[in-house]
Amino acid sequence: MSECGRHFERISEYLDGELDQETLVEIERHLSECPRCGNCLESLKRTIALCRRLEDEEIPLDVQRRIKEKVLECLAEESH
Amino acid sequence: MPKSAYPVDKPFDAIDHALIESFKAGSSEAIEKLVERYESRLFRFGLRMCGHQQDAEDIAQETFLSAFRHLDRFRQETPLKNWLFKIAARACFRRRRKKKGEPEREISIESLKENNGDYVIPDFSETPDESVIRNELKAVIDGAVRELPSKYRMVFNLRDIEGFSTEETAGIVGISEQLVKTRLHRARLFLRNKISAAYKEGDRKR
Ligand SMILES: [Zn+2]
Repeated sequence: MSECGRHFERISEYLDGELDQETLVEIERHLSECPRCGNCLESLKRTIALCRRLEDEEIPLDVQRRIKEKVLECLAEESH
Repeated sequence: MPKSAYPVDKPFDAIDHALIESFKAGSSEAIEKLVERYESRLFRFGLRMCGHQQDAEDIAQETFLSAFRHLDRFRQETPLKNWLFKIAARACFRRRRKKKGEPEREISIESLKENNGDYVIPDFSETPDESVIRNELKAVIDGAVRELPSKYRMVFNLRDIEGFSTEETAGIVGISEQLVKTRLHRARLFLRNKISAAYKEGDRKR
């Protein structure tokens, strides 16, 4: 596997802080020298940040109410 | 020797613990409180997995019902939240299998390498106004997430959206940690490629 290919496979683990020390040093050296892998890292970081930011919507109140009512209703029936 | 019940970074949730104890003592108020604590998260998870509001509502309800039916035997060795997501994840997969029988697509690493490394993802980290991003990219991102094969979408949602660790995600889905890492990386690359392509396309039209 090419050097880029080998590092490409592990960029997510790098982002998540899951690499062992040796691999970490190696990938950081490569990232500082290789613009293409550097771009890949940055674009992944932004992708994750974007997806996370768009995920905080509250759920509709009527849905909240329905879920609770249904659960209580079913459990009450079962206990009879 | 039993494994430690809670990983160090996951403090024991005292509120859940108290609510579970009062549920066991017969409190129906504890049921309401537990539903209120987790219904939004489970509903949104179901919605991201299935794409339909009705399915998401059903998944949240099924999850709670199944949980409450077994809660008296729940030994609290894993956090309640993880246990609920495990039930919900199974409900999502079951629903999917019922809908279509075809085997699931794999995303090959080769298919993600096209384009010679030229990706454009806008940087919104300095944009405090949420609505700007929402208008520009919400539909694109939702569409890209929907296109992910569901086992990839599952891992992406649990890791990147819900914030579970690799180890926790492996426990919830019932796969190895290595498989969690592989699927997560491919899912992220897949989304990156889709968002980048849509963004470039939009740029050309502007
Ligand atoms: Zn490289």
